[in-house]
Amino acid sequence: MLRSSLTVLALALLFANPARATPAVGSPAPDFTATGSNGEQVKLAGLRGKIVVLEWTNDGCPYCAKWYGSGQMQALQRHATSKGVVWLSVISSAPGNEGYVDGAGANQDTASRNAAPTHVLLDPTGTLGHLYDAVTTPEIYIIKPDGTLAYSGGIDSIDSADPADIPSAEPYAREALDEVLAGSPVKNPVTEPYGCSVKY
Amino acid sequence: MRSLLQPLILLALLVPQLLSATPVSALESTVFQSPRDRVSLISSADRYQPGKPLTIALRFRTQPAWNIYWHNPGDAGTPPRLKLTVSGGGSAGPIQWPTPARQPEDGIMTYGYTGEAVLPLDITTGSAGGKLTLSAHASWLICQRICVPEKADFTLTLPEGPATPSLEAPLIAAALARQPGPSPFTATITPQPTLLLSGDGLSPRTVQDAWFFPDQWGPIDMSAPQRLKVAPGQVELTLTKGSNWTPNTPLSGVLVLRDPMGGESNLAITASPAIAPTATLGWGLLLSAFAGGLILNLMPCVFPILAMKAMALARMGGARRAEVRSEAGFYTLGVIISFAALGGVLALARALGGDQGWGFQFQQPIFVALMAALMLAVALNLLGVFEFSARFWTPHQSGKVGSFLTGLLAVLLATPCTAPFMAVAIAAALQAPAPKAALIFVSLGLGMAAPYALLALAPGLAKFLPRPGPWMALLRRALALPMLAAMIWLIWVESEQVSPVGLAFAIILLAALALGLLALRRFQHGGSAAHLTRDTGLAAIFIAFTLLQIASHPATRAPDQATSFSEARLASLRAAGTPVFVDMTAAWCVTCLVNERVALEPDRIKQAFAARNIAYLKGDWTTQNPQITEFLHAHGRDGVPLYVFYPPRNGTPIVLPQILTPSLVLNQIGQTKF
Repeated sequence: MLRSSLTVLALALLFANPARATPAVGSPAPDFTATGSNGEQVKLAGLRGKIVVLEWTNDGCPYCAKWYGSGQMQALQRHATSKGVVWLSVISSAPGNEGYVDGAGANQDTASRNAAPTHVLLDPTGTLGHLYDAVTTPEIYIIKPDGTLAYSGGIDSIDSADPADIPSAEPYAREALDEVLAGSPVKNPVTEPYGCSVKY
Repeated sequence: MRSLLQPLILLALLVPQLLSATPVSALESTVFQSPRDRVSLISSADRYQPGKPLTIALRFRTQPAWNIYWHNPGDAGTPPRLKLTVSGGGSAGPIQWPTPARQPEDGIMTYGYTGEAVLPLDITTGSAGGKLTLSAHASWLICQRICVPEKADFTLTLPEGPATPSLEAPLIAAALARQPGPSPFTATITPQPTLLLSGDGLSPRTVQDAWFFPDQWGPIDMSAPQRLKVAPGQVELTLTKGSNWTPNTPLSGVLVLRDPMGGESNLAITASPAIAPTATLGWGLLLSAFAGGLILNLMPCVFPILAMKAMALARMGGARRAEVRSEAGFYTLGVIISFAALGGVLALARALGGDQGWGFQFQQPIFVALMAALMLAVALNLLGVFEFSARFWTPHQSGKVGSFLTGLLAVLLATPCTAPFMAVAIAAALQAPAPKAALIFVSLGLGMAAPYALLALAPGLAKFLPRPGPWMALLRRALALPMLAAMIWLIWVESEQVSPVGLAFAIILLAALALGLLALRRFQHGGSAAHLTRDTGLAAIFIAFTLLQIASHPATRAPDQATSFSEARLASLRAAGTPVFVDMTAAWCVTCLVNERVALEPDRIKQAFAARNIAYLKGDWTTQNPQITEFLHAHGRDGVPLYVFYPPRNGTPIVLPQILTPSLVLNQIGQTKF
């Protein structure tokens, strides 16, 4: 009886999840292998046991500039990595499009911005971006140590390119990260991502 | 329609200006310029009258391919923002957004404007008089592959005086004409989600294309394609759930209908959730509930109960009028209360988040086993193995309690059969508020009990019943047969729900019951009460044990076959343009089994399906299956059977009646043009 009830419950949850959310929060984050800016191979399944943050970014996008120019993104990256979180910045811009860089270019950006991601993943074909259905930069995904997706959405609550709005916004991504770090449920697990479109 | 009106409004606004003798003056602030756009603040009138409203606008002229965004920018982007201060105690209203354009880019959808884009808003002026100064701070995002945030300050000054339209007035009028207007059509959103628009004037001749802009991020996937189907009186737009889809929530936004001439109607709609297509409670619904209940008497599920009633009727041949009346009354009461209780339990389960549907009790193997046991007990009683003591229920004998309980049981057993008319009534009842739902269940009950209630109301009819006599003893024994047949059927249903081990326990349950009843017989024939206590105690423990075992041995889920129903399979077949026949069924649904045997499984039907390349998808609801429940709900149903035929090339789906005949099925699939 219990087993069948659980099956029904699991099925109900499965169907309650919206079609768009590929991947859906609460279900396993899709595995991937991607190439980092130093030529290293990063496999999500190999990071099991750690919290993983995926941050879609584009150096030419004014919304990313809002977060990097003000130093807020770097601060969030350091806050995360100091607690053992693996921070993966993902660049899905296609060659010729805004934000596209090769490995050397990505490392140069990281150095000049004083950024602190664990890896910068190069996704010029957009495979990883489409796998997660990333539509904007910046867009944040947080994966729990057990491999399930805990958060997907915007970096904060105020849709603007003005750094002056950061202090008054609700920091969705930071809150979700702290909740995952504390092992507590995420209050706003799905929020509206805002920013530039990903330049696939 | 609006599409025709728009140019007329423009013309009406332009003509006075063209004919006017006074020169028209420009009312535009200084213009912000960048390599991407020119932006300014404009007014529709050259002067203003204190206390009277005034329409102004933020005007964009973007370079080709550069765009700004609508208030819901879509998957990316940001809408323009405007902070406006009005001198003299006036205030500014919100931007009245014209209907935007779709701006797809690399699989990402945004909504916005390019070229000349005018965003109007109303100003309430103070009564102070004097010069009116409007100071605006605007910020916006402009994109063409790359995005650039821009901002500027604007000042616009208007003298007081009689107002005449400015040179920019037609621009604002055109933007106002592109505002979404109220919709004359009824809009509903199904759980699929599909947006349904219905009303007079909708037809393939008036609607060639349609698309929907949601007001908000979240409910629907904005980059997914929207599939359109137009039928006379109805427009159907298939959407895709977004990251924050919540079912049964109204969906608002702008729906654009384009006619074959290219004219567009922009409708502001709020689609209400659609579950039961006939949720309005009218006499028609009550009548169909009554008819459904009446026809239920002819359905095979009720057969064993009819056997019981036949016994009671036979005995009534010689009964007094008052007695006939009271028995029929209590039977009717039992039927109504049973219907209402089933409905109540179902509504409660739903409210607690369950996804049960009509007939849900048959999805529980324990219920099916207990019903089989009850059938056996009644059969053994009819065969004279034991007698129910006077304090208990006496199904074939007289008594108010007996009649009442027979009514209860009749409904409990009748649920696997869905009669025509009934399904819609039940679906409507489960959506309706409690008093309406109660009325529908009372109508169903009255319909089912009508033949007996008629006996009570017109007791003269009872005279036509045969007189009681020795033949009744024979009839009583003969009626044990339908009871045993029902038991066998229930054990077969059980075999679909539990594993072979579970089924073995169900049979042991029946054996234990039979032994317990034999113990009762010994007692009734002069055995000791102590023995009876011991025997019934043992039997009770045994029955409890077997029920637990039955529950813990569910059947292994049937392997997923090519013909098993799933939303994904249906969607992919339909996407390929293949016609599909969906059969929603359950092992305990007698109506379903009869339909399949008679109208779906014969060779000539199968051949007809094959000849037309119709894919057959079967959904098995024998045990709970949320996907099937959702499909039933989407079609305004709460139980099986349900037959839906999807014609090729995405024609409008056809829902077939609950009782199928071969010619009906052939006709339906034959009507399809290939």
